[in-house]
Parts: sequence; C-alpha cells; structure tokens
Amino acid sequence: MNDEKFVEVKNLKKVYDNGHEAIKDVSFSVKKGDLVCLLGPSGCGKTTILNMLAGLLNPTSGDILFDGKSVVNVAPKDRQIGYVFQNYALYPHMTVLQNVMFPLTVGKQKMPKDEARKIAEKYMATTQITELADQKPGNLSGGQQQRVAIARALVQQPKILLMDEPLSNLDARLRLKIREEIRALVKSVGITTLFVTHDQEEALSIGDKIILFNNGVIQQDDLGQNFYLEPNNYFVANFVGNPVIDNFNVKVNGGKITGSDFEINVDDLDKDRFKRDLTDGEYVLSVRPENILPVEEDGAVSAKVDDVELIGRERILKFTHDGGQARSLVNLETPIKPGDNINLKMRLDRVFLFTKEGERVY
Amino acid sequence: MKSNQKKAWLFLAPTIIFVTFFSIYPILRAFVMSFQSGSLINLNWSGFSNYQYIFSDPEFWRAIKNTILYALISVPVALAISIMLAWFIFSRIKHKSFFETTFFMPYVTSTIAIGIVFRYIFNGDYGLLNFLLKAVHLPTPNWIDDPAMSLTTIIIFGVWTSLAFNIVILMGALRNIDPNYYTIADMYGATGTEKFWRITMPQLVPTIAFLLTMNIIAAFKIYTSVYALFNGQAGVGNSATTAVFYIYNKFQIVGTPGVAMAATVVLFIIIMFVTFLQRKMMKKIGGR
Repeated sequence: MNDEKFVEVKNLKKVYDNGHEAIKDVSFSVKKGDLVCLLGPSGCGKTTILNMLAGLLNPTSGDILFDGKSVVNVAPKDRQIGYVFQNYALYPHMTVLQNVMFPLTVGKQKMPKDEARKIAEKYMATTQITELADQKPGNLSGGQQQRVAIARALVQQPKILLMDEPLSNLDARLRLKIREEIRALVKSVGITTLFVTHDQEEALSIGDKIILFNNGVIQQDDLGQNFYLEPNNYFVANFVGNPVIDNFNVKVNGGKITGSDFEINVDDLDKDRFKRDLTDGEYVLSVRPENILPVEEDGAVSAKVDDVELIGRERILKFTHDGGQARSLVNLETPIKPGDNINLKMRLDRVFLFTKEGERVY
Repeated sequence: MKSNQKKAWLFLAPTIIFVTFFSIYPILRAFVMSFQSGSLINLNWSGFSNYQYIFSDPEFWRAIKNTILYALISVPVALAISIMLAWFIFSRIKHKSFFETTFFMPYVTSTIAIGIVFRYIFNGDYGLLNFLLKAVHLPTPNWIDDPAMSLTTIIIFGVWTSLAFNIVILMGALRNIDPNYYTIADMYGATGTEKFWRITMPQLVPTIAFLLTMNIIAAFKIYTSVYALFNGQAGVGNSATTAVFYIYNKFQIVGTPGVAMAATVVLFIIIMFVTFLQRKMMKKIGGR
C-alpha cells in the first residue's frame, strides 16, 4: 500500500512519569523491506522508540503508523510485530522447537499443535536450527540462541521485526558473523526490520539506512556513508568514525581561519560546501584523521608524534595539539616513530566547520 | 601433598567434631537405645522388645496415622494456597513489600504464641471462626473440644503457619523470573492462565521441590502446634496425637526411653523414605 512509508513515526514524544523527557519530537519513516538501524549512545532513547513501536510503552504524544494505519491504540499482540530481546529471553524450560512454537500456541488465534509445528519447522529451517529442535536453550551457544530468538520472532509472520541490541551478548568475532547472517536472513524473508544498536560499525555494516539519536532527538537520518562524508552536526561527526575525528578550536576573522599554530584562507575552501555564510567568530574545525596527513613540504602544521598505534592495515599517529590529542591515520608502511617531528596538512575539501553550538557551517 | 592433607583435616576439624557430637552420635545413640529398656541411667539390652511394643500399641499406630494424614493433606494444600497467594501478590498487588512483610510475620512469631491466639479463634462458643461461619449460615463445629475435629483443626493451623515461609520463598523465585518472558508472552497474546502454566509454573519447579521437601520433613515432625492448640495435650482423648508427641510422651512422661527411641527410628525411616520418593518424583517432573 504505502511502501515508501511502511513505518511512519510522526512527532513522537515520550515523557516518563519522573519527568524525564526521553524522546523529544521525533519523526522518521522506513521503507518496506528495509533494514534500518537506530543508532546512538546509551540513554539516547533508541530503545524507548523501539518499545513504543512494539507497544510496550505508550507515547506521550505523536503518532505511529504501520502501513498507513495508526497503531498507537493497538495492543502489542495485534500490531503484527516480532521482537528480539537483547538477552533473547528464550524459555529455558522449553526445547528449541517448543520455544519457536510458543507464539503460535497461545492466545486467541492459537492453532493445533501439528499445524504450529509445521510452521515452526519451516522457520527453523530458514534460520538453520532444525537439528537443534530437541535441545534446551541452556545447551546452545550465543549464536544459536540468537537464531532461535529470531525464528520465534518470525514464526507469526509479522510485518515488522524489531531487534534490541541483538548482538551485544556475543563475542566480537561471532558478532561479525551473526550480523551478516541477520542481514541475509531478514533480506531473504523480506521483512521490514528496525535494529537498535550503540555500535556504529554494526549499524554501518548492516543497515540500509541509519537513524542516529542523541538526547531524544534525531541527529541524522541518512545513508551510512553520509555520516562520514556529510555529518549534520558536531555530535554526528564525533560519534561516527574510528579513530574519532580531530577537533581544533579556531577563530574566523577577515577571511582567515586561525588555529593555535595554523592559518587557512577562507578562499581556499570549497565554496559549494558552505551550508551558510561564514561570519567572524569562534568555531570548531574538524577533520577526520585520514584527511590530515604528514607531508614533506613546509607551511603545514608541525607536530611531535607522541605515540603510534597499530590498527591492522593502518597506523594512528597521535600528537598533542593546542592542549588536546589529535590523530592522523597513515599507511602501515609509513616509517614514522614516536618522538619524530612531522609536518601535517589537511585536505581542505574534507574538513568541517562547526559553530560552538555544534551546528555545521562548512 | 601429605602436609596439605594434614592442614585440610585441621580446617575440617571444627565441623567434623561438631557434626559427630551433635548429629551423628545422637542418631547412633538413639538407634542403640531403641534396643535397650529401663530408665536412662540403667539401660539393659532387650533386643527387639521395644519395636514389638510399639507395633502392637494402638496409640503408636494412631500417632503414625495422624502424622501421615497431616503431612499428606496439609503440605499440598498449604503449597497450593502459597503458590496462589504468591502469584496473586506478585502479579496484582502494587505494594508488594508490605504484603510480603505481613505474610512473613507468622514465621518470626513463636508457634506457641500463635497457637494461643488460635485457641481463641477456634473456640466453639465464642471463637472468631465460628462467629464468621454462623454469619454465613455454615455449621459451627467445636474445633478444639470435639475429638473428631482435632486433626482437621491441626491441619488448618498447620496450613496457616506454613504459608509465611512458603510465600516468601516463592516470591523470591517469582522475582527471579526474567520479566521479558512475560513481555514476549504478552506480545503474542498469551492469556494469564497460559502465562501461569507455561512460564511461571515450570520456572517454579525447583523452588516447589525444595519447599515440598522442607514442608514434608517439618510436617512429619509436628509437635509444637499440637501442644499449643490443645493446651499441652494431644487433643481431647489423645485424638490428635502425632509421632513426635508419642515419642515425647514415652520418653518424658512414661519414662521408657527405649520405646521412645524405637518410635524415633521408625519415624526417621518413614521421613527418609518419603523424602526419597518425593525427590524421585520431582526429578521426573523437572526433567520433562
């Protein structure tokens, strides 16, 4: 019906009984069949939104529409959603098969055991847990439990799948594997999925689209790469990216951007990238570590390398600048050691300028 | 290795000494005494005569019958009521801790004191219970003074007193159940009954097994509540006599410790057997 806005959230607000304003006027929409990540630091309200979508929490104001119909006054069981909890919440006293069958064998629409078993077995085949049917969850590995939880969430053939940090209980290596599996699985089933995570890497790798939250407000609702290339504001620029972005306090005065020991002509910046006119005043100049690189020539920022950290293919050069630490991401072969003096140059078409309030100017 | 072992014995010594003197020795002594007759300071070997005596004593059989009836009725009834009340408090009541404290009160109060209060409640003429029964036009039996009613009275009292401990333990177990289990069940539209039988009860099995064992053992050792309710007697005409009452009577009042110990050994064997049976049963249920 309404595939572009299969899930639509309008001016959603949630104030808890203790007066805490968890969600402040949030609106977004999700395309049918998309896998969307709700990303943000802990306490940013992403789980609150998921719980409101599930119907576990009532919004203070605003509307939630599934397929064009408001579900705010619809009970969770009638919303046609599947929910995967962070700790899976599998029933320890039931076998895998009984766990997967559970949603089909309770409530008003419960079906005969044989029928339920057939459907359960179909989804257990999809999630590749058929041979675990008679095991109890306690005997399964984290990844296997994860698949059981997904099979149980899918068995009622919901229209929307909600997942609350489903990978946080797994070890790092398994997490990489399972997140690929989850993506492949939800894509093969074709279900619209909302996936809550605090891990940017996870969000970037799994999501068709990412919605980044902070303090109950959407910071950016965009495709993954745009969080790197075109962050909306200072928070986004600093939240996304590893190693984190370098920030320098600068003053803009008469066509010059002045840092503690560098100077940039405003004319050298790319005019098309200005979001608004640059007025004189104090700003933060941010540049990703891969865009501030050591060069031979003079006239660039000079710095002494404090430390060199190896991260696989690359090295992070750490240096102190204007009292804070800054980083430069260089190739593994670069022969720079701690204590070396280097000259650094920024790619001016890749730097960002933010106001002190965090608003992006360039 | 060797010096290590010596040290280990040293650390174990206090416990071993304590258990030996206060648990193992009395059990063995009771067992030995059951084959002896005479007073405590002058015991003689008498073979199986004590056992012959108790097995031919109708009083002993009445005591055993009463004890078994009491255990078999009061324990399941008390447990069922405890589960219902605990589930009710847990799922419906807002100020849980207040009710929990209230329900726990009887456990920290002396059985004797409660028994005295219940003597008034159970009183046939001016008791609170009969007053209430009369108000709803039900028969008003003479709870205390009618020999035919005394076992029933003891059972009611026993159920009431064991609620406290059971409810507190069950509340703890209910709290330990992951609330997400219920959230998920709600999300799939499970009814309250379905949630209770498919989530709560299976999760409570280990706790229920524990309580059943504790309650059964306690029920077989019932003495204080009889003493308190019937003013130091075992009911009118010994109608509510129990195994421990019989043992106490033969030991202290009649002065035949051998007979008392023979009854003790029999009770010990019965409790062991019942506990063993019950563990097997619970294992079967829990291991489904």
